[in-house]
Amino acid sequence: MSDLVLRNIGKTYDNGYQAIPSIDLTIEEGEFIVLVGPSGCGKSTLLRMVAGLESISQGDLLIKGDQVNNKEPAERDIAMVFQNYALYPHMSVYDNMAYGLKNRGEPKSEIETKVNAVAQMLGLEELLTRKPRQLSGGQRQRVAMGRAMVRDPKVFLFDEPLSNLDAKLRVQMRVEIRELQRKLGTTTLYVTHDQVEAMTLADRLVVLNKGHAEQVGTPMALYERPASTFVAQFIGSPSMNLIPSTIENGVLQLGVDSQLACPQFSTDKVMWGIRPEHVDIVPLQDADLSLQVKAVEALGAETLIHGSVKTSEDKLYPFVVRLSGNHAPDIGQPIGIRVPQQAWHVFDVVTTKRIEPL
Amino acid sequence: MIENRPWLTGFSHLVLVLGVLVVALPVWVAIVASTHPANAFGVGHIPLWFGDQAFANWHQVLIGKEGQASQMLRMTLNSLIMALGITFGKIAISLLSAYAIVFFRFPFRGLAFWVIFFTLMLPVEVRIVPTYEVVANLNLLNSYTGLTLPLIASATATFLFRQCFMSIPGELVEAARIDGAGPIRFFFDILLPMSRTNIAALFVILFIYGWNQYLWPLIVTTDDAYYTLVMSVKRMLSVPDGDIEWNKVMVSTLLAMIPPVLVVIGMQKLFVKGLVDAEK
Repeated sequence: MSDLVLRNIGKTYDNGYQAIPSIDLTIEEGEFIVLVGPSGCGKSTLLRMVAGLESISQGDLLIKGDQVNNKEPAERDIAMVFQNYALYPHMSVYDNMAYGLKNRGEPKSEIETKVNAVAQMLGLEELLTRKPRQLSGGQRQRVAMGRAMVRDPKVFLFDEPLSNLDAKLRVQMRVEIRELQRKLGTTTLYVTHDQVEAMTLADRLVVLNKGHAEQVGTPMALYERPASTFVAQFIGSPSMNLIPSTIENGVLQLGVDSQLACPQFSTDKVMWGIRPEHVDIVPLQDADLSLQVKAVEALGAETLIHGSVKTSEDKLYPFVVRLSGNHAPDIGQPIGIRVPQQAWHVFDVVTTKRIEPL
Repeated sequence: MIENRPWLTGFSHLVLVLGVLVVALPVWVAIVASTHPANAFGVGHIPLWFGDQAFANWHQVLIGKEGQASQMLRMTLNSLIMALGITFGKIAISLLSAYAIVFFRFPFRGLAFWVIFFTLMLPVEVRIVPTYEVVANLNLLNSYTGLTLPLIASATATFLFRQCFMSIPGELVEAARIDGAGPIRFFFDILLPMSRTNIAALFVILFIYGWNQYLWPLIVTTDDAYYTLVMSVKRMLSVPDGDIEWNKVMVSTLLAMIPPVLVVIGMQKLFVKGLVDAEK
């Protein structure tokens, strides 16, 4: 049975601003769903609507088949982890985790068993008597998760839980969250603006743009077949190179001197794209396209070459190439690049939607 | 400011020492005067060292002369009841009103806020005649309720709590909602413990405010049983034949000073913490 169903969910604020026009989403039991998008895209609003902290203007929200639109957060049987952890500063770690259970009137002995079990799972046994201010950021994060887990809710909600941690801890906690979620098998809705976090955590990703779900699918599906230029640019780092061009009579007019045969697309104005990692460097005379090198970022394991491509309309478009290993092309000089056709992504210029080859 | 100039340090200390002397001298005189016979002040010079009547003076004020028991204890109790009544009354009312203003959305919320704000401009001294009228009509003259109630209504404490509550992050309120804490649970389990230091700071300020009330008790009480300590000092000065017993006046003054001093010393740490940093 589907755990969490969003049916035609929308949000319009009192001042008439429509944050979310309409979203449909069906989440299966135990699934890890990540809502991802740039700031202001409505992802946090959506999460808060599921939590019950924000009213729902239209549509139905179903948790395990029950419509919960007008239920209080506590009655929805959800648990939420906040970005700034929102731990009660005057309570010990134990009391923080036990508070929700206490409010539900569970017997003391049972609360103790549950809190201790969760504390053990998260490695918090030693810290149970401490106050939140005596903990490090990572420990606070863990307590916040513990507080959510203790209640054994139907749905976990995470609101950018890792953005206050430093980079190293973030990676560590990311892995840990994923492991815990697998172990507990609790349906999870997770909000982030970080696409790496989104890719690594999600069973399925929802890319939001201005309140619309641009695409829903597994991370790999979104990476390999982005449905629009928005998704194409949002998923993957560095983001996909996009160049507006035209296809005429089966020929793609890419650069000034670059015409590539592409019989599988019909005649159209298109947005042509390729991911930086799918581009190869070749001698200029064999190249599909020439790239004016502007900057080189050597990261050790890989090298990013930033440059620009001149189109037939005499405009310059930025273009990034990602190569493994160490390369040192001359800055200011042109290099030849090859763009294999199976790695192309072609989008409609007007609708920005993906165009599939014939 | 961190500077290392010896003459500046010396100068700063000089200023501070002078300040302490200016503040401490009257207190010293009061202590000394309370140890001299009644006429020591009348002869033209103020004694600056202890006399030999300390025990007799204090005994007379605290216990009373033969055949005439002292009212001092009674008045101290009255003062204490009034001060504590005002303090706890104000804290309770302010906490509730600030809670309503900050966390609840209700019609005319802004108006309520401004009405409370407006009362800042109307301390007891300004509205003393109408307030007396109201209290008199309610038959509250010569009662503890009459002493405390008109002084409880005030905006200052509400504002302090409002600021304190507004600095509580919204996520914390939401986390409590998800944890199933309703408005009353949230108030007692989270808001109250988190404003602990602010309450303590306010307690100090309000206790001193309540204890030092002079004009209002003077007007609203005509029965000895409700006289307060601070009032009594004034009453000792207005004796018919001008033969003021300065030694006893000073003993009463000192007695009146002790409780606020104790409160300040006892709650100093919490007081500073409550005003300086909030535990959030």
